[in-house]
Amino acid sequence: MPEQVVIAGLSCGDVLEGLSDYLDGTLPEATVGRVEEHLRGCRWCAQFGGEFTTVVQGLRESLGAEPVDEGVSVRLGGRLDALFETAS
Amino acid sequence: MTPTPRCDGELLRESAAGSRSSFEELVRRHQGAVWALVRRVTPSDALAEEALQEAFVAAYRGAASWTGSGSVRSWLLTLARHAAYRHVRRRSGEPPRFEELEELGAAAGWGDPVDLDELIDRMRDRDLVRRALGSLDPSDREILVLRDLLGHSGPETAEALGLELNAMKSRLHRARLRLAAAVRKERRHA
Repeated sequence: MPEQVVIAGLSCGDVLEGLSDYLDGTLPEATVGRVEEHLRGCRWCAQFGGEFTTVVQGLRESLGAEPVDEGVSVRLGGRLDALFETAS
Repeated sequence: MTPTPRCDGELLRESAAGSRSSFEELVRRHQGAVWALVRRVTPSDALAEEALQEAFVAAYRGAASWTGSGSVRSWLLTLARHAAYRHVRRRSGEPPRFEELEELGAAAGWGDPVDLDELIDRMRDRDLVRRALGSLDPSDREILVLRDLLGHSGPETAEALGLELNAMKSRLHRARLRLAAAVRKERRHA
């Protein structure tokens, strides 16, 4: 990492620490403005922020919810049937 | 007129009283989420299937113990985690190394930019993403599944993992950085 800079009162390390909260929209509004100001002024953090966001969004889109295989679901039903029989 | 669907809590209470159909409805609603979690935590689909079955058996047997203080879904996912971890071989007795955030950032590419367009393209490769996710520790995989694949809120994720919200957020951030590092590694090998 090149030498860290402080922009809008935030160092590059502060921005790195807050990236997930920024992405998830859970940073306080005032801090969001400062992070964005830092990103506008620091190409290293802007570039890494782009890479980090791409990876997280790519994970969500590539592997999103996958349906349960039918065989798995059927065998689960069978195991539960046996359980219900025992319990009744 | 279509009847209003019953809430999970109601279905679980009916299950505790012996209603098979109520429990089956809960299984239909949540088996996808439970499967997604156990499949990413355990090392094989066969073990994931065992964990899936064990989680729902535990849920039926323990239905009366649900306190009603959190969501049924989070409770089920907690049972699923416990079932899954019984099938994960523990690594050698060494405790996991604690990495400084800047060390994790550097491994993830902080200060070493990539071609973003190429990365966007590579992230569409499901196999690459699956391999990168699969190379992480189970504790990283489970938090990424809950928060990013299943889209649970922060508080729901924290509840399922038995963590305070801030501890969950810190763990999630570290897991995402490790995933970014793993994606870099996979791209180099591809």
